[in-house]
Amino acid sequence: MPVIVCHACDLAHRVDKIAPASRVRCVRCRAELYRTGTAGVDTAIALALTGLVLFIIANTYPLVAFKVNGTTRMTTLTGAALGLYDQGYAALAVLVSFTAVLVPLTQILAFLYVLVPVRMGFRAPGQEGLFRILSALRPWGMSEVFVLGAIVALVKLSAQAEVSPHIALVAYGLLMFTLTALASVTPTEQFWQWVSRARQ
Amino acid sequence: MSRAVTGRSLGLFVCTRCRATVRAIAAAGQRCPRCHSPVHARRPQSLSTTASLVIAAALLYIPANVLPVMRTHTFFSDTDDTIMSGVISLAQSGSWPVAVLVFFASIVVPLLKLVAMGEILIAITRKSVRLPQQRSRLFRVVEFVGRWSMLDVFAMSLLVALVQVQSLATVEVRPAALAFAGVVVLTMLAAQSFDERLLWDSQNRG
Repeated sequence: MPVIVCHACDLAHRVDKIAPASRVRCVRCRAELYRTGTAGVDTAIALALTGLVLFIIANTYPLVAFKVNGTTRMTTLTGAALGLYDQGYAALAVLVSFTAVLVPLTQILAFLYVLVPVRMGFRAPGQEGLFRILSALRPWGMSEVFVLGAIVALVKLSAQAEVSPHIALVAYGLLMFTLTALASVTPTEQFWQWVSRARQ
Repeated sequence: MSRAVTGRSLGLFVCTRCRATVRAIAAAGQRCPRCHSPVHARRPQSLSTTASLVIAAALLYIPANVLPVMRTHTFFSDTDDTIMSGVISLAQSGSWPVAVLVFFASIVVPLLKLVAMGEILIAITRKSVRLPQQRSRLFRVVEFVGRWSMLDVFAMSLLVALVQVQSLATVEVRPAALAFAGVVVLTMLAAQSFDERLLWDSQNRG
């Protein structure tokens, strides 16, 4: 009978088999031992592709427009990071571009790279390394925090000037939902079940 | 109370990356057969790494909150804003919900993280952790809310990019913004380097 050891409190659990579409918690510390979804690989790929399209829109079009004295200023996400860089805060520019741009993009591309071959029945080389990168990056993808930060900036400016959200902010908002959905249909245990099925 | 059957007592490791349960072998540098991450009974130097990150973050918390993070130049005046004065001016302009949001994300959450991690670390160094259940729950809250403190950094980055109307109004970042971002990053790293099992070890020994 297989044993699952809790990653949070080290308690050993006897498990008959990994059940589909379930979430199993540690009996002692309530940490999630594993979770498997009802969604298939197709759903995950569709979400990743949707995310990719939204990501491209979110990064090419302006996020917000700021109108004062008849002139309008707009900025993209890259513009926001460059603004920090120009003022001599390269570290902040790197932090913003890493958490709001680079991590979401890496997550989308890495999922596609691993899951499209899985769907076609073979394994992508280097998938273990990519999984480790994906799992290490999870806490650093901050698209939802960025969307709220943009709203805070809009509210701050609206007291003094005319500001309006633009297409990229909408795309970014949708991207945040897409990425959340992608994360929820690809829990670790589910990911490895797909991968091991493709290996056979 | 009977002794808990743990991974350690059975000679089993759990991979902290992919959560596969693996049989412990005597070799040093053992890797998980599923995702090839290094596996350990307990993360090496977890306590000292986490403690140093928390201390560094606590030191940065002071300049991050006392010194201005942003300067607004206008035709008439220069105004310096700290995190707190930013919250106050949001509240004064009538945006209460946003002011409360920023107050929690930028001031309460970082403080909560520092106090909670400090308390947990001290409890562990005292060797017998009482109430591991509650402390585990506290740690998970800290881990979950940590990233939301980046809110102000993102808001600032947009303000800087947008408000650049020469001679009329410009917004400039001040050095304390770096300290603030440092607090966020260091506390996130602290939570990631912490091995939750340390909270349960005194209980596991029975």
